[in-house]
Amino acid sequence: MKIVGVLVAILGFIVSFASLALSSTGGRFAVVIVGLAISLFGILGILNSAHLKHSIWKTGANEE
Amino acid sequence: MKMLGAARISLLLVALVSSPKCLLAQTPSTPPTSTAAPVVIPKPITDADLANVPVPSADTRAQGDRNGSLTGNAGDITVSDSKKGLTIGDLANQVGQNKIALNIVWTLITGYLVMFMQLGFALLETGLARAKNANHTMMMNLVVYGVGMFAYWLCGFAIQMGGVGAIANLGGTPALNAEHVIHLFGKDFGIFGQHGFFLMHKGTYDVGIMVLFLFQMVFMDTGATIPTGAAIERWKFSSFVVTSFFFAAFTYPLFANWAWGGGWLANLGVNFGLGKGYVDFAGSGVVHTVGGVSALAIAMILGPRIGKFTRDGRPQAILAHDMVIVITGCLILAFGWFGFNPGSTLGASGSGNLRIGSIAVNTMLASAAGLLSAMLYMWMVYGKPDVSMTGNGFLAGLVAITAPCAFVNPVSAVVIGLIAGILVCISVAFVERNLQVDDPVGAISVHGSCGIWGVVSVGLFADGTSNYGGSWNGVNGSVTGLFYGDATQLLAQLMGVATLLGVVFILSFCFGTLVDLLMGQRAPAKSELEGLDLPEMGSLAYPEFELKSGN
Repeated sequence: MKIVGVLVAILGFIVSFASLALSSTGGRFAVVIVGLAISLFGILGILNSAHLKHSIWKTGANEE
Repeated sequence: MKMLGAARISLLLVALVSSPKCLLAQTPSTPPTSTAAPVVIPKPITDADLANVPVPSADTRAQGDRNGSLTGNAGDITVSDSKKGLTIGDLANQVGQNKIALNIVWTLITGYLVMFMQLGFALLETGLARAKNANHTMMMNLVVYGVGMFAYWLCGFAIQMGGVGAIANLGGTPALNAEHVIHLFGKDFGIFGQHGFFLMHKGTYDVGIMVLFLFQMVFMDTGATIPTGAAIERWKFSSFVVTSFFFAAFTYPLFANWAWGGGWLANLGVNFGLGKGYVDFAGSGVVHTVGGVSALAIAMILGPRIGKFTRDGRPQAILAHDMVIVITGCLILAFGWFGFNPGSTLGASGSGNLRIGSIAVNTMLASAAGLLSAMLYMWMVYGKPDVSMTGNGFLAGLVAITAPCAFVNPVSAVVIGLIAGILVCISVAFVERNLQVDDPVGAISVHGSCGIWGVVSVGLFADGTSNYGGSWNGVNGSVTGLFYGDATQLLAQLMGVATLLGVVFILSFCFGTLVDLLMGQRAPAKSELEGLDLPEMGSLAYPEFELKSGN
């Protein structure tokens, strides 16, 4: 899942970058914001969740 | 006699700048009317006039200059030919050198202030750590300076600034003129610079370039020290060294090239009509967000400290060991910010640089607004004006104003700071409770979230009144945001944010993961429980304190 998260985050950038090929400002805004949302989902939604699955507080090693 | 010499020089300089040959293009010319008094056009001064300018005699100087009226006179101007004496050419050269000298001294001194921010970060992070990790935290903040500088000298500076072109404020040496470009959509996209490795490569052993290196190096180091805040109390020291080296050598310089070094983000205006291209005056994005998203990547890889979350995922408070040095650190950082933001003009003379006064005031106002809004938010929501969050609000205002400080008016600066102060409080709670990422100092929120807000706020609040030489990023006119009529500037800023998330974060995450696989990023649990000072550093920060606490 970590790799999927990385790829989704990069995909978000590619979508935002692709907005440069458009000519209308409104269209560029829409595409850039969609790209930002995809990147955020990849980082916070997928990548972070993948890390939390094996987080230290879910194991027995969390007792100080 | 003494005063006569100084007065004569003053008159000559007035005559020089008001002579017909020296009229500026903007000077309005009003033709004399028949009723007006006859205009007396001063005679152009000649070398002969300069030869007659008296200077204090050696006997006079030998008596000392108690009231300061003798020191600094025509005799101090270097003459190119002693037989000819002082000429207009010498005078003009001296004026030019004085302008560049002012700019160089300004940039160096503000760079020294930024370097001093390292102490602010060190105190802030160490104070928020537990006493058993104080030595380790201080050591990270010290070593990141040396490791970062070394990496930046080797290749980071060249990657960042190797294709920026001549910096007119610092003398205009053209040696940094090789940008590697790729072609997409029929346009050139600058990717990285190629001159300036070791500060010796391709004519870069130059006084102006040395000044630029010093100033840019301390900026990079500010960025490099941000991830340490999110990773304290559990980051293995050797892995920290390797990760910081990579940050200074590649991650930071790449984005800095795209924004400041003539790269593709800066040219979004020229190539695609997006405002003045991506605009980030002093680095809300380049320094703070790059550091903030790298901090997020490292914090995710490391995982939370032992004891930070209960088994059902509820966060637990891990108390700071010294709030006195935390607040001391915040105030030192705010002081250093007067180098960070006004210094980013790279000069005090010419090209609209006198706006440094406005930049400094905007910096102060935003920090005060961030402090107040964070304090009031915590007071209203949690019942007490939390000390560490008030400090974070103070810094949040500073981070947010860093990109727009040169382009906005004081009211906008206050609004930007107020929003940043509240944003940092919400972001810290979100990162801890929703993301379950352990960020002991709030670096992700202060530098990442508020850095992004700063980048976006340029596209909203830039009022179009600044004029740094008539253009920005190669596009004529002043930087103007959405609220003042240019929506495309906001688009350029959002492209910058998309790059920070989709490229810079990923670079940091991938390299951090590689280091984790090769040598492990996290210190062993036994060391973490004991405190990293002894296992990692071999000595305690407070040995007596440890004994008194019975450990």
